Amino acid sequence: MFDAALSFLGALGAQTGLAQFWWGNVVMIAVGIAMILLAMIKHYEPLLLVGIGFACIITNVPGSDLVLPGGLFHYAYEGVQLLILPPLIFFGVGAMTDFGPMIANPKLVILGAAAHLGIFVALIGAKLIGFTIYEAGAIGIIGGADGPMAIFMCVKLAPHLLPQISVAAYSYMALMPVIQPPVMKLLTNKQERMIRMKQMRPVTRVERIGFPIVIGIIVNLLLPPVAPLITMLMLGNLFKEVLVTDRLAKTAANEVMNIVIVVLTLAIGSTMGADKFLTGTTVEVVLLGLLAFLVGTGSGVIGAKIMNLFLKEKINPLLGSAGIASVPIAARVAHMVALQDDPENFLIYHAMGPNLAGVFGTALSGGIMLALLQ
Amino acid sequence: MQKDSVTFAIVLSLIDFFLSMVMISFIGLVLKMLPLLNRFGKFDEEKMRRGH
Repeated sequence: MFDAALSFLGALGAQTGLAQFWWGNVVMIAVGIAMILLAMIKHYEPLLLVGIGFACIITNVPGSDLVLPGGLFHYAYEGVQLLILPPLIFFGVGAMTDFGPMIANPKLVILGAAAHLGIFVALIGAKLIGFTIYEAGAIGIIGGADGPMAIFMCVKLAPHLLPQISVAAYSYMALMPVIQPPVMKLLTNKQERMIRMKQMRPVTRVERIGFPIVIGIIVNLLLPPVAPLITMLMLGNLFKEVLVTDRLAKTAANEVMNIVIVVLTLAIGSTMGADKFLTGTTVEVVLLGLLAFLVGTGSGVIGAKIMNLFLKEKINPLLGSAGIASVPIAARVAHMVALQDDPENFLIYHAMGPNLAGVFGTALSGGIMLALLQ
Repeated sequence: MQKDSVTFAIVLSLIDFFLSMVMISFIGLVLKMLPLLNRFGKFDEEKMRRGH
């Protein structure tokens, strides 16, 4: 009788996760808890970190069926792997974004490409330390500071690096107010940071409606590999600008966006199993991502200074740093740094132009990379 | 040139950066021409807002 009960309990124990629990799971559960605390206490990307942190905790509880084929987290990841979720994020972003600053000052869009030198420095750096060219490409895109695009490229080029790349990309985006200002100040003097921008022209409704249609055509024509993302961005924006589909625009910007964020964060968190995450690769990816952000910020500022050599009306070189995408965090950082030297120099609206162009810059770099690599 | 090499990574980066610059300049040019659409007329925004 006693033996039967013992054997029954033994069999029951073998079915739980206790037998597979190891110290790596403890570390990753602590990482998950740290993410949730960072979101709560420091307000670092709470919409993302809470879901990622929770999924990371659950994934590291051995025996959880959620991450196995047939489990809910598994299907969430399928949404990423099948490249359904990143375009839907762009759809929501398009519905909540005013492209007016970019349309009003087209000369600043060049900064959206200038600030992406970091992508290529990280790519070459990754190749130098032994990553494959596909992995290096996926790591480089972290420098585009665009979460959905980083995920999109990662799934296309090196899906096994998704946890490292998505965590690095979103962490650095949250830390941009800490990472960017020292580089911006190092490369500019006070006089340059105090340059005031001329007020922009108003953008008409016709232009606002024409913009997503024209860009949708151009991107699908020239860059099919990344067309799903930009097309959905433009569709969301068209819903917003035509004024007759308010309900759809609001749904895209709120309900769709929120649902997709929940599924996306669970998908990312579910890839953070200790066996995959606690490796030297993670440290390398994180360091290369930081390098990409630093170089990208610097190249954007230098790009703006080079533009000033040819422009009659000088632009504030801090705008260059906003070209790194990560809308609207990078624009806000440029604005805040300018305010430190001149409390009446409001750069935010001007910085949104290169900031939005940065989204296109990352998409262009990614699209060309995919075309060259595949 | 071997695809999985540092040399290829450098060449890829140079081409990608250059083409990105060209393409984004093209988008800038398109944006510069966007005001031409205003020649076709303008929308009555109030009427559009009431239309649904």
